[in-house]
Amino acid sequence: MSPLSGSKRSVAALALTFLSGGSLLFAQEQSATAISHQVKEIFERCSKAVVKIHGVDEHSEICGTGFFIDPTGTLYTAYTVGGEAGNFTIEFGGKKYPARQLLADIRSGTAMLKIDETTPALPIGKSEELEVAAPVVAVGYPLDLPETPNFGMIAGFDQKYLGRYFSMTHLRVNLPTQRGEAGAPLLNMKGEVVGIVVSSLENNSACYAVPIEAAEKIRSDFVRFGEARHGWIGGNVSKAPEPVDGSRAEMMQVMEDTPAARAGIKPGDILLQVGRKKVAQPEDVLDASFFITAGDNVPITVMRGNQKLTFHVQAELHPASKNVPMLSDGTRVPAAADANRSIPLKLESAAQTTP
Amino acid sequence: MDEFDDREIARLLRLKRYEQPPPGYFENFLHEFHRRQRDELLRQPIWRMCLERAHAFMLGLDVRSLTSYPAAVAAVLVCAAVISLKIYQQPETARVALQSPPAISTPVSAGEEWNLASPPVAPPILRMQPVRSFHESAQTHRAAPPRYVLDSVPVSYEPTFRF
Repeated sequence: MSPLSGSKRSVAALALTFLSGGSLLFAQEQSATAISHQVKEIFERCSKAVVKIHGVDEHSEICGTGFFIDPTGTLYTAYTVGGEAGNFTIEFGGKKYPARQLLADIRSGTAMLKIDETTPALPIGKSEELEVAAPVVAVGYPLDLPETPNFGMIAGFDQKYLGRYFSMTHLRVNLPTQRGEAGAPLLNMKGEVVGIVVSSLENNSACYAVPIEAAEKIRSDFVRFGEARHGWIGGNVSKAPEPVDGSRAEMMQVMEDTPAARAGIKPGDILLQVGRKKVAQPEDVLDASFFITAGDNVPITVMRGNQKLTFHVQAELHPASKNVPMLSDGTRVPAAADANRSIPLKLESAAQTTP
Repeated sequence: MDEFDDREIARLLRLKRYEQPPPGYFENFLHEFHRRQRDELLRQPIWRMCLERAHAFMLGLDVRSLTSYPAAVAAVLVCAAVISLKIYQQPETARVALQSPPAISTPVSAGEEWNLASPPVAPPILRMQPVRSFHESAQTHRAAPPRYVLDSVPVSYEPTFRF
């Protein structure tokens, strides 16, 4: 084999360059087409279970989005849609159905409605498996337009926004949203629900979504007790000057006659774990405590000096949940029921009729 | 003209030929004219000016044509009042809460077996009335367009690191 001459070598190099450039462009086009097909497939599969919600609040008629989570017609939406309104109507499959509110919970920012029909349902995924830049799809009803797919990516996991701490970590999603899309499901690329869109961000170019686990926690409370039961143990946490075993969450105060005091937790203990959630910063406590249910035994691991101790604390009802509604005669709803602000405005068994 | 002969006039004209108005005289002439006109008008007392204006206004109105249709004017006013009352009527202040003591189910004990598939416990039957009837509200605001919901800030909020 005789070696190629100089001119032939340069022609071959040029041809290779053209071929590789062309294949790169082709690959890019292919991947864009593949994403488009995937989004379309998710949209076609999931949009059947996404509904438009009409309601009436004290100001006007409201419109939002929701989605079915089981075949008996239970659906999730945002608190701003299904929390403080009534006279709900669901547009689904080209028909309108009256709906009733099962539960509304302002701490999670979600609400549960129900229609008495057999419905399709979206599978529930895990938001914990998401990472920054993971692609996601939302399906919602913007303004008075039909169901619309939105494609974006996870931009972050935020514990606070504009100086306000959330009750649990929220998903910040770079995904354009419009008015009317509150309550829309946030789907991973398998078509599983990983969050619920609850608010927009600057110029509607991005949004916040509540992780689906938060809504599922409220739902499991409802299944067990008929109401949301946020738990607490009675401690205040602050930032320790030095990290201890990787954590800077220090018990600043343990209130008297609370589960924490009874279990033996003391001020100065460094929190390492609450329930299943590891704690590294004081902010992590909010996320961990959101998933505590009143009445449950919660293992809490702390560092006291050089000792690692685990306490089993029976959580009580969160004080914020004790703002019970007043009766017409000025008395409170009986305390024995531990009624809380998460009790729905309407829990009547009969579905309401549309006006 | 009799007092001046032609030579005298010619001499005066020669003298005036070199007289010029101050700089900007012609530019400010109109402005100055209007200013002086205003000054002249304002020398009248205010009551007289008001009287004159009122008089001019009344003359401009065709009062007779208005007074010849009092019934029509009254009907229009009554219609406007009725419509405005209909649109902006205050909603009734409704009862805040319950008609009868609530019947709340006993919570299931935390230790019992349960899962998401198990039937929910009987929810509390709280027949709470909202601050006002949604039906009434819908009627009151029938003309208002629906509000498409998407807030700019999530409602979830914790004031402290208390848990």
